Amino acid sequence: MKYLIISARILMVLWLGETALCQAKDLTSGLPAFSSISVCATEQKLPYVYTEWKHFTTKDGLPNDHVFAVKADGSKVWVGTENGLACIDKTTGKIKSWKEKDGLPWRVVSALDVNTKTGELWVGLFGGGLARFSGGRFDHWHQLNSGLINDVVYGVAIENDNVWAATTAGASRYNTVTGEWTIYTEKNAPMEEIWNYGVSYDAGKVYLGIWGSGVLEFDVATESWKDYLDPDGEMEIDLYRDDGIVHVITTGTSYIDGILWVSSYFGMCRYDGRHWRGYFAHETGLPSDFGNAVKGRDANEAWFATDKGVGVLADFPSDTWVTYTMDPNTHRGKAVVTQGQITLEIVDMPRGIPHNYALWTEFDGNNIWVGTSKGLANAIGIGYYKGLRSRARWVAPSGEIEAGKSGGHKTKRPKRSG
Amino acid sequence: MKRCQFLLLMVFVVLAGSCATRKQARLGDQITEIDAETLQLLEKINSASAYEVPDLGLRKDYNYAKTAQDVEPFRHVKPYKEHFLLQMEYTGPGRAIPEPTDVDSVKIGFIGPIMSTVSVATGGKSHEEALGIKMLQGARLAIEGANAAGGYLKRDIPFELVVSNDNGLWGASGNEIIKMAYKDKVWAILGTIDGANSHIAIRVALKAEVTMMNSADTDPTFIETNIPWVFRCISDDRQQGYLLVDYMYRKLKLKRVGVIRASNRYGRFGVREISDGSRRLGNPIIIEMAYALGTEDFSLQLERLKDENLEAIVHWGDAHEGALILNQMRRMGMDQPYFVCDRCLSEEFVEITGDNAEGVICAYPWNPTRKDSRLERFYEDFLKRFGEQPETYAAHGYDGMSMLIWAIQAAGLNRAKIRDVLAYQSKPWHGVTGDIVFSAALDDVGEVYLAKRRKGEWKFYSREDLKIPQGYIPPRDRVSRPTLTAQSR
Repeated sequence: MKYLIISARILMVLWLGETALCQAKDLTSGLPAFSSISVCATEQKLPYVYTEWKHFTTKDGLPNDHVFAVKADGSKVWVGTENGLACIDKTTGKIKSWKEKDGLPWRVVSALDVNTKTGELWVGLFGGGLARFSGGRFDHWHQLNSGLINDVVYGVAIENDNVWAATTAGASRYNTVTGEWTIYTEKNAPMEEIWNYGVSYDAGKVYLGIWGSGVLEFDVATESWKDYLDPDGEMEIDLYRDDGIVHVITTGTSYIDGILWVSSYFGMCRYDGRHWRGYFAHETGLPSDFGNAVKGRDANEAWFATDKGVGVLADFPSDTWVTYTMDPNTHRGKAVVTQGQITLEIVDMPRGIPHNYALWTEFDGNNIWVGTSKGLANAIGIGYYKGLRSRARWVAPSGEIEAGKSGGHKTKRPKRSG
Repeated sequence: MKRCQFLLLMVFVVLAGSCATRKQARLGDQITEIDAETLQLLEKINSASAYEVPDLGLRKDYNYAKTAQDVEPFRHVKPYKEHFLLQMEYTGPGRAIPEPTDVDSVKIGFIGPIMSTVSVATGGKSHEEALGIKMLQGARLAIEGANAAGGYLKRDIPFELVVSNDNGLWGASGNEIIKMAYKDKVWAILGTIDGANSHIAIRVALKAEVTMMNSADTDPTFIETNIPWVFRCISDDRQQGYLLVDYMYRKLKLKRVGVIRASNRYGRFGVREISDGSRRLGNPIIIEMAYALGTEDFSLQLERLKDENLEAIVHWGDAHEGALILNQMRRMGMDQPYFVCDRCLSEEFVEITGDNAEGVICAYPWNPTRKDSRLERFYEDFLKRFGEQPETYAAHGYDGMSMLIWAIQAAGLNRAKIRDVLAYQSKPWHGVTGDIVFSAALDDVGEVYLAKRRKGEWKFYSREDLKIPQGYIPPRDRVSRPTLTAQSR
């Protein structure tokens, strides 16, 4: 009995010592102020977790809560909704909006991009063509007055002096200097189907995500095309995970640092020019295989907007994910950090994404914007860091980490500090 | 409390049942019948907030599209992932949108090829108006029947059909869906026929969040898109192809089969399961020839086919071309059995081919000669309304529109709930085309038939009627199934 008491005291001393150490380190870890770590486990290399979220809805001045597109541009953030365009002035916090009565050519804004050279905002209109917003005026192109191949525009991207529009019947490229339009369909591009869904540009390459035709790469210098299709050629299976695009029905592309990120309704992918890697919800932190959009932050980090939350591949080399969801009952936010099949951390937050049906993500320095079908969110990235870093773990309500999937630590709900 | 809720529910069921019985007797239809299962479903979806996804019990299939093991793609390899086995959910906030009170009619969209213009599929003159007009007639009959029975019963206002033509270049069907979803504010849409137009339409429906019921596009890939808003109430070319393949190889023991098809999406995708199935059963298609729509002389294709000493020829394309090909084949002394797709089972085909039609075998998505009081009543009503007999596009259009009307009556004026009550039905819909059974992919996987032309009439046969053997259909998904052994191959 005496030995038992002595052992318990030793363990207590060790535990107190470790807690003090972790709390000390907590001060420099960049974790937000709303809570503290109530149980300090051993330090571990972990990704950055966004824990401060601000929401924007119609109550704040958005024209509509169904947010299809977001574009950060300096002190402004442009927001495309199902019924209007909005601009958030980050310095004043004011929101200005435009509907059809204000000159917006069509109510549904599905895509946005900014020409950094001119400052013009290019607006993809879902069923209304393409618009340019400049100097307070909307100019409008559609399939009856221009070379826009179709009015149902899903994606817009600026490439040098050109504006690309991904439409339901092909892609159009508009040279804003010469006024020349070029149309790309199955006639002059390797489109097995012409149903363009997403378009992105970086480093001399335009990538089209095409429903039924995988991804097409357009080399701006040579004006040549390269196609990426699902190698097994079958709709109902993915034969091998890493042999190519997981499915030909792609929804979005994002090219950065030489890495192509792809979203689809059947899973996501990463391509480094030589190797493909497929991602599915059943084995990663992806909340769902139904990917509405993707945005790559760099070669190792990508944000996937899905119908069941936002999945972030935070560190490609270690396959570490952060999954952001919202509790539909309490409306609290939740971030779950996983590595492979192991859950490392669960963070319970007062706020997270405003709805689990996520449609778009946008980077704004260290901050993130997430468009959902029920509002817009801005996640504040104070102390954001890339990849993994040693820091204390957040701990979650007990029982939340599934047996057999956890890192084996005990968990508690984080508490507010201060 | 639970007992009270149960009693209340039972009262609802009884009231709904008696109400439905009265309507049934008067209408002879099921569009106002709301069963206990649907009432329970409504209880869940009506109480869901904008943020919740109610647990409605996702449909799970263990085999995709009733595919026999020996015609599965890459059947000797365990795939990494198998799609379409678990029903897609709608996870958006739409269920919480309240029903509007300021409507004076309940609009339902129709999109189909009804006016002659140019065609996406051919780059020339359109060719599917004859089918689209029939589909529209079927849809109209369903709407008129519902209005005769009181319209949208909850508000005592009529149903209204908003009609759009999809025959246009530049993806016109997408623009039409946008117009219907945002300007006309329809509650659901029926359409369309052409595979390309259908794909364009459903992508728009997904973003606009409106149910699309398809009653005429048999392209297998139409439903293979993971869109939770899409339904199909006609058996597709995959199901028809499987039956034809089984008949040709397992029953007739043919070895050398050739294909001639339209060089459009319908021909290309329609014949794909036959080509794949033939190869997987060890009898690869000897030759596949395509022709441009509007071709009148098929000598080029038929001479190549003739040179191959074929035992049978399969045609996948429209009735007009199918008939011309058959006549030219016979003139060239090609007397092989002629297998055709469902589009060839038409008056036009028979008129052009005359006696040559004898012996033609057609894959068909339903049996229009079966004894069924509902079907007979449909024939009578259609004849009375339009002065002509309905055909397959009219019948499926009627069924598709009836299902939408039923869903609106049950769910109310909320697009997400309309989608839900259709998506989570566990029982088949008793349509005029037969029982419509949805798979997890919300596709009709009901029985398909072979139609044989005998003595100037089409005779319809089920798989069972003709004792057509079928390959083993495993009761487990491919990923968790034990790897094939040499013996089981």
